[in-house]
Amino acid sequence: MDTIAETNTMAPLEQFILDHYGQEPEWLLARRRRYGSLYLELPLPVRQRTPLKNRKLDRIPVLVSQPVTDISPNSSMFNLVTVNGRSVHATLPESATAQGVVLLSLREALRQSPELVQEALGSVVDDTVDKFQALNAALWQDGLFLYIPPRVNLTEPITISHYATADATAVLPRTLMILDRESRATVNEQYVSEAGLDKCLWSCATEIILHDAAVLQYGAIQQLSASAEAFVRRAARIGRDARIDWNIGEFGAGMVVSEHLSVLDQPGGQTYSTTVFFGSRSQHQDYTATARHVAPHTASNMTARGVMKDSARSVFTGVTDIKKGAVGSDGRQKEKILMLSDTSRADAIPSLLIEENDVFAAHAASAGPIDAHAVFYLMGRGLSETEAVRLIVHGFLAPVIDTIPVGALRDEVWAQVERKILE
Amino acid sequence: MSTPVLEIKDLHVEIEGKAILKGLTLTVKGGEVHAIMGPNGTGKTSLAQTLMGHPHYTVTSGQVTLDGQDILAMRTDQRARAGLFLAMQYPSEISGVTTANFLRTAINSLRGEGNQIPLKEFRDRLDETMKFLEMDPKFSNRYLNEGFSGGEKKRNEILQMLMLKPRMAVLDEIDSGLDIDAIKVVAKGVKSLNGPEFGSLVITHYQRILSYLKPDFVHIMMDGRVVKSGDYQLAEELESKGYEWVRAEFSTPL
Ligand SMILES: Nc1ncnc2c1ncn2[C@@H]1O[C@H](COP(=O)(O)OP(=O)(O)OP(=O)(O)O)[C@@H](O)[C@H]1O
Ligand SMILES: [Mg+2]
Repeated sequence: MDTIAETNTMAPLEQFILDHYGQEPEWLLARRRRYGSLYLELPLPVRQRTPLKNRKLDRIPVLVSQPVTDISPNSSMFNLVTVNGRSVHATLPESATAQGVVLLSLREALRQSPELVQEALGSVVDDTVDKFQALNAALWQDGLFLYIPPRVNLTEPITISHYATADATAVLPRTLMILDRESRATVNEQYVSEAGLDKCLWSCATEIILHDAAVLQYGAIQQLSASAEAFVRRAARIGRDARIDWNIGEFGAGMVVSEHLSVLDQPGGQTYSTTVFFGSRSQHQDYTATARHVAPHTASNMTARGVMKDSARSVFTGVTDIKKGAVGSDGRQKEKILMLSDTSRADAIPSLLIEENDVFAAHAASAGPIDAHAVFYLMGRGLSETEAVRLIVHGFLAPVIDTIPVGALRDEVWAQVERKILE
Repeated sequence: MSTPVLEIKDLHVEIEGKAILKGLTLTVKGGEVHAIMGPNGTGKTSLAQTLMGHPHYTVTSGQVTLDGQDILAMRTDQRARAGLFLAMQYPSEISGVTTANFLRTAINSLRGEGNQIPLKEFRDRLDETMKFLEMDPKFSNRYLNEGFSGGEKKRNEILQMLMLKPRMAVLDEIDSGLDIDAIKVVAKGVKSLNGPEFGSLVITHYQRILSYLKPDFVHIMMDGRVVKSGDYQLAEELESKGYEWVRAEFSTPL
């Protein structure tokens, strides 16, 4: 049964927090109350190309404290699974545990390492950014905590599945990852939900802290059902000479606002980001990738490739933000979108905010229809229209997808592309 | 397999409301080589594209059949499966798709479900055909036509034709932009298919390729129609006299 959070005024919301999160440490309760009140204060966000009006958010049913059973598909394949926002199991290979790697549900981490969690939680993702993020900060149910000790090189990928059932209404997981000095890891998060009749609100946060010279291969695949409206925030703080590779595949959800931010505030930090998205039917997708160069000699390279069909709508904004003092930095971005229908719409918006002179910045963006002559050419050799389109889409995406270094993730991205072509 | 017959009867075609083909009639049978010549802009490419079903061209009246089947009612891929092939004047570049991968997909599309070509057999045939066309084997792993020179694209069209083995081929300016040696190679490729089960319609501005292909019929197209047909002699006549005399003859009221 759902527990309804009356979220129209502070008193019931505060009571809700007390009832359901009352066992948590005082600092966290205070934090939840603080963001609860911010949530109430904030209006619905105004996004230039994504209308978010007319959303009723005054009663948000949140599953919090009832026991939850693991009913997600293939859950044994994952190191950690959340169901409707709550963590149901966490397992690590023996070899990882032996090296001191810690993977816990976020609530369990609060019990085992409260100081670490307190220090890190909300230190990278800006929980004040909008109403949906504040909601996550106030009412997050659970999530995961990953810690990789110094110099540990974790070769096996850590895989996480966030799953929601058809009757879920608000799913608010949080991921917190800390890679200590010179460590290396690969982490893949997957977002899946059952098709539901009623809208389901997802507000997810992933926070990543990379200490000096740490290297993270981060992958995410979002394949939520059309009933999901998702707000996804990911941010990484990148230490000296550390590096993150974002590989993000966005395929599902009726409406999605997704952002990933790299904060390069130590010299020599690097971020590489690849986003592949495929919109179909009446999906609305609004993505932002940001590289914020604060320290000198930091590098960013962001690539996005999108395919749009039916009457889907997408916005991709790439932000290369080079602050004063980030001398010798190098920021590049490239967005390319292929439209398979006249009724789809896409905007690729490169945004360069450059306060420093001694830097290199470059961008390229394009959106265009599929070449009708090319389709004709291929059909003239016997390929059906679907096969012709598939070949062209493959050719369009291959240069990007094939650079994804994690084989399992790459295969899954291809599988999703395939599914969307035939959809 | 039987002898193919392509019959075009009184074909009228428009593009964006403008009449391009104005009653074109032509029959090509297996074992025959037909050449079409004619000044720029008279509708030769339009004919070729219409035969293959390019969506920009609208057939307003007339008939086209292959072996008695109405091909105008077919989608482009169905026409290909019926045995029709068009070597394009300007082949498309397909980024990210290798020539080899594309060809295998195409062969399998033509062969149909459950009758896929074994990889080894495909590889062998591809190697052999490329050698026959004096092509660098590297081309099979390059993206289809991407960054190919004009001549390389034309050779690639012939490679596709030999791999797909159509019954009726329309070659639109397959010789343009080729040096003399390349024209010989392309002609050798076309001739290798010649026989009772293969007919071809060769669109060209030049006599050189025809001197290798020795067409049985030469047609002159003007203003969307065939205005004169003859044998190989006609091509030689055009070479020396140009189109003016045909134009004069054609514009005389009948
Ligand atoms: N997309 C188009 N829109 C409008 N007119 C077109 C279009 N494509 C072709 N045409 C016109 O149709 C006519 C026939 O063109 P077509 O390409 O068939 O000529 P062609 O005989 O192949 O010429 P060439 O010898 O130069 O290749 C020309 O007048 C051309 O301008
Ligand atoms: Mg032409």
